[in-house]
Amino acid sequence: MARPGAVIEVDRNTPPTLFHYGEGVRLERLPLGSRIVYPPDPLEPIAHPERAIKRALGKPLDDDPLKSLLRRGMKLTLAFDDLSLPLPPMAAPDVRQLVMEEVIDMAAEAGVEDIHLIAALGLHRRMTQDEVRHIVGDRIFSTFWPDRLYQHDGEDPDENVYIGKTAQGEEVTLNKRAAESDLVIYVNLTLVPMDGGHKSMATGLATYRGIRAHHNVKTLLGSRSYMNPPDSALHHSCIRQGQLIEDTVRVFHIETTVNNHAFPSIASFMQKRETDWTPQDQAMFLAMKQMTDIAPPAFKRGVFHAMRAPYGLTSVNAGQVDAVHDKTLDAVRNQISVPVEGQTDIVTMGVPYLGPYNINAPMNPVLVVCMAAGYLFNLYRGKPVLREGGVLIFEHPCRYEFDAVQHPSYIDFYDEVLADTTDPFEIEKKYEQRFAEDPWFIQLYRKSNAYHGVHPFYAHYWAAFAMQYAGDIIVVGGEREVVHRLGFKAATTLEDALEMAEQTVGRHPSITHLRVPPIMLCDVQ
Amino acid sequence: MIAEALKGKTILVTGTTGFLGKSIVEKTLRAIPEVGRINLAIRSSARRPAAERLEREVLSSPAFKRLKDELGEEAFARLAAEKLSVLEIDLGADGLGLTDAGRAELARCDIVIHSAAAVEFDNPADLSAQTNLLGAARMVNTVRETGKRPHLVHISTAYVGGLIRGLVREEMPLDPGLNWRHEAAVLAALRGPVEEESRRPEVLRKLRREARSRVGPAGTPAMARATERLREKWVKDRLVERGRVHANAMGFSDIYSFTKAMAEHAVVELHGDVPLSIVRPSIIESSLDEPFPGWLEGFRMAEPIILAFGRGILQDFSGLPDSVLDIIPVDFVVNAVLAVAASPPPDAKPRFYHVASGSRNPLRYRQFPEIGREYFGEKPLRDRYGQAIGAPNWTYPTRSELAARARTALRFTEAAQWLVERLPLGAGASPLSDNLNAERERLERGLGLIQLYGVYTEVDCIFDTRHLMSVWDKLPSAEQKTFPFDPALYTWDHYMKDVHIPTVLRMSRQETAARRGKQPTGSTLVKTAGDSVRSAIERRTGRSDVLAVFDVDGTLVETNVVEYFLWMRLRAQPLEDWPAFMAEMLREAPRWLYLERRSRAEFQRSFYRQYDGLDYEVMRRLGREALNAVTLRRVYPEGMRRIREHKRAGHHVLLLTGALDVVVEPLAELLEVEVDCAHLLEKDGRMTGDLQSPPPAGEARATLLEEYASRHGLVLSESFAYADSLSDLPMLELVSTPVVVNPDARLSQVAGQRGWRVERWRMAPGNWRPPMPDPRSPEYREAVRR
Repeated sequence: MARPGAVIEVDRNTPPTLFHYGEGVRLERLPLGSRIVYPPDPLEPIAHPERAIKRALGKPLDDDPLKSLLRRGMKLTLAFDDLSLPLPPMAAPDVRQLVMEEVIDMAAEAGVEDIHLIAALGLHRRMTQDEVRHIVGDRIFSTFWPDRLYQHDGEDPDENVYIGKTAQGEEVTLNKRAAESDLVIYVNLTLVPMDGGHKSMATGLATYRGIRAHHNVKTLLGSRSYMNPPDSALHHSCIRQGQLIEDTVRVFHIETTVNNHAFPSIASFMQKRETDWTPQDQAMFLAMKQMTDIAPPAFKRGVFHAMRAPYGLTSVNAGQVDAVHDKTLDAVRNQISVPVEGQTDIVTMGVPYLGPYNINAPMNPVLVVCMAAGYLFNLYRGKPVLREGGVLIFEHPCRYEFDAVQHPSYIDFYDEVLADTTDPFEIEKKYEQRFAEDPWFIQLYRKSNAYHGVHPFYAHYWAAFAMQYAGDIIVVGGEREVVHRLGFKAATTLEDALEMAEQTVGRHPSITHLRVPPIMLCDVQ
Repeated sequence: MIAEALKGKTILVTGTTGFLGKSIVEKTLRAIPEVGRINLAIRSSARRPAAERLEREVLSSPAFKRLKDELGEEAFARLAAEKLSVLEIDLGADGLGLTDAGRAELARCDIVIHSAAAVEFDNPADLSAQTNLLGAARMVNTVRETGKRPHLVHISTAYVGGLIRGLVREEMPLDPGLNWRHEAAVLAALRGPVEEESRRPEVLRKLRREARSRVGPAGTPAMARATERLREKWVKDRLVERGRVHANAMGFSDIYSFTKAMAEHAVVELHGDVPLSIVRPSIIESSLDEPFPGWLEGFRMAEPIILAFGRGILQDFSGLPDSVLDIIPVDFVVNAVLAVAASPPPDAKPRFYHVASGSRNPLRYRQFPEIGREYFGEKPLRDRYGQAIGAPNWTYPTRSELAARARTALRFTEAAQWLVERLPLGAGASPLSDNLNAERERLERGLGLIQLYGVYTEVDCIFDTRHLMSVWDKLPSAEQKTFPFDPALYTWDHYMKDVHIPTVLRMSRQETAARRGKQPTGSTLVKTAGDSVRSAIERRTGRSDVLAVFDVDGTLVETNVVEYFLWMRLRAQPLEDWPAFMAEMLREAPRWLYLERRSRAEFQRSFYRQYDGLDYEVMRRLGREALNAVTLRRVYPEGMRRIREHKRAGHHVLLLTGALDVVVEPLAELLEVEVDCAHLLEKDGRMTGDLQSPPPAGEARATLLEEYASRHGLVLSESFAYADSLSDLPMLELVSTPVVVNPDARLSQVAGQRGWRVERWRMAPGNWRPPMPDPRSPEYREAVRR
């Protein structure tokens, strides 16, 4: 039985605490009496993933066995999550590869010939050949690429269809091949409770027209948080869209979850609590600290992004979407939930080198906001760990650094939009349409490996709630100019940041440090 | 006495577009309202008739502001119409180019004040001789021809005595035994032989070599223009040098005082029975009181030195610290001239008057930097970072010592600049080179000052003013107040600190502002974009006949043809073949660098031979792959933004580049703009390494652009061009809004001279990768296997 997550109080014997710091690490001494929230240890993975997959496909939840749905001459489409999940990318073989190989074998047995595999990337960037190959594996890649294994294109006017409107007026669009298929099999990997379920189809195979229905400031401010679907306006909207899609096309969902074994053995100190560090871990930490302190950013990035996570499969479920997703969410919560008692004046965290949108790329300032004030801040159920008006402190170098191929619209967003305002409502009103419809960004999204023109807006909206809710946000160790552009305050050390925070929350504040990653979900009572 | 004597008189003043002439006219108009009429001798210039020059170059001068304020604009206009008239006179023509009416008008004049002169110390010899010497002679001759005997007041200079020591008396100047007619003939005819000399093969070859090194890649016509400009400069420099050396040899400090001395000889010889007074001011500087304290026009002698002193450019200066620096305010000169004009000599013997301060109120040379230090100590100038510049402490070395020091420093700077411009640093070199350029200009300015003015700080003489003072003593005390010219009336401390230095500082700001807007002349004329490019785009929004043309390599994308070639070739061969290939490329690199510097076209032609025998379709595919791997990673986000702004504004966008179709076309497709690039001839599906048409570099690029514009009905005079290299110069010259992006050292200089917009676009940080595919990528390995 793996050790559950825990909340530890800092006392005289507590060793310094690890803070992720972009492509680097720091040790900080937190004030006595602060709390540190640790994620649970990785759950024991399923010993024979292939068998578990076979079992799930043979006995689906609220649906017929997959074999009975496959027949000769049918049009079959497999859609799968793109490389924004899991983080870091999974060491080969990827779970999705195992599932898809199984499904394709089954389909071949049933005599299905018309099979297409579509990477359901929504408005994310197209993956490179190598990245697609990593997800699907050599066998599938060499068989299907490029004419039957390809990536969804949300801007292709001929390959997307408009399905209709939900009762709430949300427009729904779908990839044409998927819409015309006799059966769509969605192969998902869920890392956090935000993923999966109806959101898979409703965003992964949709266009800007459909996605903007819920990717907007109003919906996101109504999602407390989007990491907990029952309280999330985002998910309610996706469910409405998803139900319309299920009425149009037969979808068979396969969802998988993995444990939180995010770091390979060389970086196992990142995985463990500081009290558990072995001499090897300490040596590894020292080595990494020395390396990251002096190495140039490009070199560090090379080292960090080469890390592959030794994730283990913890559940695989197939069948009808709601039934499957309930089980999936149970499995995810089982792995990442940590009960935390009460809110706190100050929340601190270290922002790691990687977020969902910067695989093989630097985490640019806009993405830092998305990661810290978006994803990490929102990893709660019930109430945020931070009290309303409290101060969020995070550590990240916040360099002015962008990947020109992946994030061209982010550069313009930073240079033009953020220079004007950081207010999400104003940004949405004034700039979103121009970026979304910019032909250059559309071209880059379709033909290069760039995120859609509107994507930086979503990244910024993701943090809208935190920016509204927190009394102040302070970045430790960030480039001053960049931090100011983002609308935050810059501090050199954690001590300074805590002093600055006292101006907002008063003397002797309560402090909670979220020791992420690995990912956890704070269940705040 | 003065007002009485000039009452109802008709006066002719020459040189009224100059500083002194203007001041004389102003004072007369203001202080002697009963004067009959003032004829202003003005020549029609190529651009403006004489009457317009009166309006624009004389009456609109700040000197007349006081009068305008006192009278009101209307009354002033009435007064000017009543008292002033233009007499068209050309000092360069015999008989002064006068019409019959003009001659009649001249005959009506009672007083002729001849103050026209080419006053710069470094004028070409022929110009000085023509204006100063022959002009004065013609003046006297023409006056005599009228048969009348007006009082001729000839303005000369105190330095006609040459470099002599001790007291300089008010009498005929030093005569080294020269015949002024002969001198005039030789000097005035100098230009012909010098022009001829400038066309000698060895000279032309040298100039052409220099032009090539400056603007070589810009193409033949640009180089021809540059050569011609250099030749003209060469001729002028020679003429200046000839003048200076000749004057020095004859015992004069410069060509100005030499020709003025000769002119005195001529005037004295020719004047016959015309009453003649010769007024010799020393160094005329800003006015003490009238028309306002600190009235000054043009930068003359002490001004550049004061400025250089305050800016810390002149860390030291030569001279004799106890010698007298003879400066005289312009209003004192004007008053002296009027007083002299009012008391004509009773006989035909010429009278000489020194207007100088040295004998009555000497300003010692040592006082000059002392006052300067006090002034700048209180109100220092600031450098571009806003830091105060400390005033230097002069040690007075000898002139040759100082010049040698400056020359050594200059030589080092030039060597460094030569090196920087030749290193393959591209846009990275331009800030460095700009700095060196600024330093070189600073040194050249200092050296120029030393050469031109150094001699005046060694003049060990005092100008006798007894004649002038006797005029002063005769003035009634009321007129001594209205027409002061006794230099003992003021202190130097007051004059320098409260009047002159503040004036110089005020004017220097004016001058720098004017210089920025200065436009080149002749065939290279271009209009500068008034304000930012963006507002220019806005102004021309919605006009489909506007073109925005972009160079690609270095302007939009941080690459060059070599890197693309490298990437594509490496991508197509297995890892083990890389070292051999790289070694071969390295061996050729120096040759390509040399060619690139010489001419972009030659370089491209030579480099494209490398493509000989490569499969066209394969290269097309590789080019497409290079788009993601190389081009998009290295684009300048600002460039992409600018293209889209132009497209949003409805402009026609064209990429004009010498890069190959296989690498540029994918980018143009993505941008959805048109492209004109190089194509290689094809044979059996393979490239040949020969270009289909000459590479679009230099003037070929300009022609291409013109052709393109006329084909599509585009108006180049309303268009935009963006480029980074000197080879794009002809193209940039064609459009109304040229924008220089990341210029190399040489283009940066050109852009600075012409006031073009210079923008620095950068790659998004963190994107530089060597131009080679990732050998670990399975995609690469599979592609090579195939």
